[in-house]
Amino acid sequence: METADVVIIGGGVIGTSIAYRLAGNHKVILIEKGEIGAGTSGSCDKAIFLQSKKPGFPIKLAQASRMVYENLEEELGMKIEFQKNGGMIVIENESHLDFMRKFVKQQNKAGINVKLVDQKEALAFQPCLSPEIVGATYSTEDAEVNPLLLTQAFAEAAKRKGIIIRTHTAVTDIVTKDGRVIGVQTNKGRIETELVINAAGPFAPKIAEMVGVGLPIIPRRGVILISEKVKPMVHGNILCSQYIATKHLSNNTDAPSYGIGLSLGQTESGNVLIGGSREFKGYDKAVEPEVLTAIAMHARRIAPFLDSIRIIRTMAGFRPFTSDGLPIISETPNMKGFIIAAGHEGDGIALAPITGLLVASLVNKDLKYKDFLDPLKFDRFNAIHASPKQG
Amino acid sequence: MIICRCEEVLLRDIITSIENGAETLKAIKMETRAGMGICQGRTCRVLLEQAIAPYTDITIQETNNIMYKNPVRPISLANLSRSGKDSSQ
Repeated sequence: METADVVIIGGGVIGTSIAYRLAGNHKVILIEKGEIGAGTSGSCDKAIFLQSKKPGFPIKLAQASRMVYENLEEELGMKIEFQKNGGMIVIENESHLDFMRKFVKQQNKAGINVKLVDQKEALAFQPCLSPEIVGATYSTEDAEVNPLLLTQAFAEAAKRKGIIIRTHTAVTDIVTKDGRVIGVQTNKGRIETELVINAAGPFAPKIAEMVGVGLPIIPRRGVILISEKVKPMVHGNILCSQYIATKHLSNNTDAPSYGIGLSLGQTESGNVLIGGSREFKGYDKAVEPEVLTAIAMHARRIAPFLDSIRIIRTMAGFRPFTSDGLPIISETPNMKGFIIAAGHEGDGIALAPITGLLVASLVNKDLKYKDFLDPLKFDRFNAIHASPKQG
Repeated sequence: MIICRCEEVLLRDIITSIENGAETLKAIKMETRAGMGICQGRTCRVLLEQAIAPYTDITIQETNNIMYKNPVRPISLANLSRSGKDSSQ
């Protein structure tokens, strides 16, 4: 029978990042039910935003991950289209101005280099924007990456270091004995292992159920429009203040329908990515045309120069939502040999590099990242299931 | 020989991708960008299926795992924004 020191479940950006960091020291098998990076990691935007993170621990975590990006392309030996083009949050109406002023002050205090710019400055930097906007915040620290290439690069680098990757292989059961993991059953055979890493993103709760653990992670569907290739017209990444209001103000009462908030970016090949929606729809991928219309309306109001570009495809992905906006990177109480690394919601790309290092540290029990791992522990959730707010 | 005209992907690129372990249309698409252009595979999909068949043991049906997604044809952002019933935004 096949054996492994570690079995990683999930071949998205998180699972492959972990595989890469474990490579060399352990016999690792990564199991993916579809293709590498074809789920959540293949249906997201390309932003590595720092300025939008909450002050305190979330910013520290994102900064640590952003540091790893600096040399990642070189380290992985593959092009990942990492660019430091900065990021902007557009303020569409006066009513968000006060909130965004406070937001900038608070982010500066937290060590993020971000400034408020007026309409004129914003348009000078980003001519695709509407003259109707009030202003924007701008940070040079925001960056971007191609998530498809990033996941493939992690996977290839891991393979070169001896990791076995099995695609089109689904986990059907996790075998346990006396409160500890002893094996993984797949549709293509059984693997004996004493350590499983659940990196299944939005499907992590289904994997955890196999060991009788309820995970407070809920799939939140996000839809993004993809345009034909056009000449460069979007510099760096753009969000709108509506997105920040939705993200940071839990009592935000004027939540837009379908959770619409702009996220705009352009890939190196020229496709414009126009997001997006945030909805709790279970695992339903059938997107109503009204959602696409709403995303298009919102985008062209802020960036009317995009009017004539043609949309060639849309993509829907499930983001693994947790109620406090942070992932769970943790061992599991009462189940030995079951590590959880999921729940990154929309920050999977930004946090993938640090997640690999954190999980490797958990596996190696070296306590190197204790300060980062303590706040990400599973037992911070008292209730079994979080109660999401629609939107 | 060109398989995907929009993204200029050659048969040679497709074969390299298969040799590196890609087994399905989706895996090849994500690696080579074949089918990611403005035609969204309307022209190259059949060619792609036929190109893979001799190199893998699995059937064309099994390799065929790319979803059809909206819109069915390229549509300008302005027109898309006018296409739905919901105009509350």
